[in-house]
Amino acid sequence: MVTKACTRCHRIVEGDLCEVCNLATSKNWSGFLIIVDPEKSHIARDLKIQEAGEYALRVR
Amino acid sequence: MIYAIRTLVGQEKNVARVIARNVKNSGIGVSSILVPESLRGYILVESSTNLDMQNPVFKVPHMKGSIEGEIPYTEIKNFLNPEPILSSIQKGSIVELISGPFKGEKAKVVRIDESKEDVVLELIEAAVPIPVTVKGDQIRLIQKEAD
Ligand SMILES: [Zn+2]
Repeated sequence: MVTKACTRCHRIVEGDLCEVCNLATSKNWSGFLIIVDPEKSHIARDLKIQEAGEYALRVR
Repeated sequence: MIYAIRTLVGQEKNVARVIARNVKNSGIGVSSILVPESLRGYILVESSTNLDMQNPVFKVPHMKGSIEGEIPYTEIKNFLNPEPILSSIQKGSIVELISGPFKGEKAKVVRIDESKEDVVLELIEAAVPIPVTVKGDQIRLIQKEAD
């Protein structure tokens, strides 16, 4: 299955819709980030990510 | 602190996923794992503790060892906000491909997509100049204007 990413929150999802944002997803994404512990991660803080999970760095 | 782990090229995401799964509830201080598109064969692990590569959580298929020492956070910041294609690249610029099947080849910019995301290139060393379309983050500027 093609993984896609939400154009707003950058979450990686498998469907055509991001259920969090209720927005269409895009298969045109690059850069991959897994947030394990959003409270301790400096990267999560910088990117304003508050939930653990998989994210794209860039989504078109 | 950021540490780099080497992986088999093409297996970066898979290695990251397995390590992320393994470290959960392990007490190891890994808080995130970054896989930049332009860094082939490496993943970057953010951790509050030194990575003990002897720990079974890091013994995953296609993992090829770690790089000694920490990477300063400032050095990885660029990866977090990948720039749209450099505005300095223009038609006629000479670039080098830094990822993909033509990695290491030099090419001339034929056209830049309006969105500034895609670039059409002509490989310099190819016998027959075939246009190749790549993403802006797959190239590195060598020379702004061709002579
Ligand atoms: Zn979303």
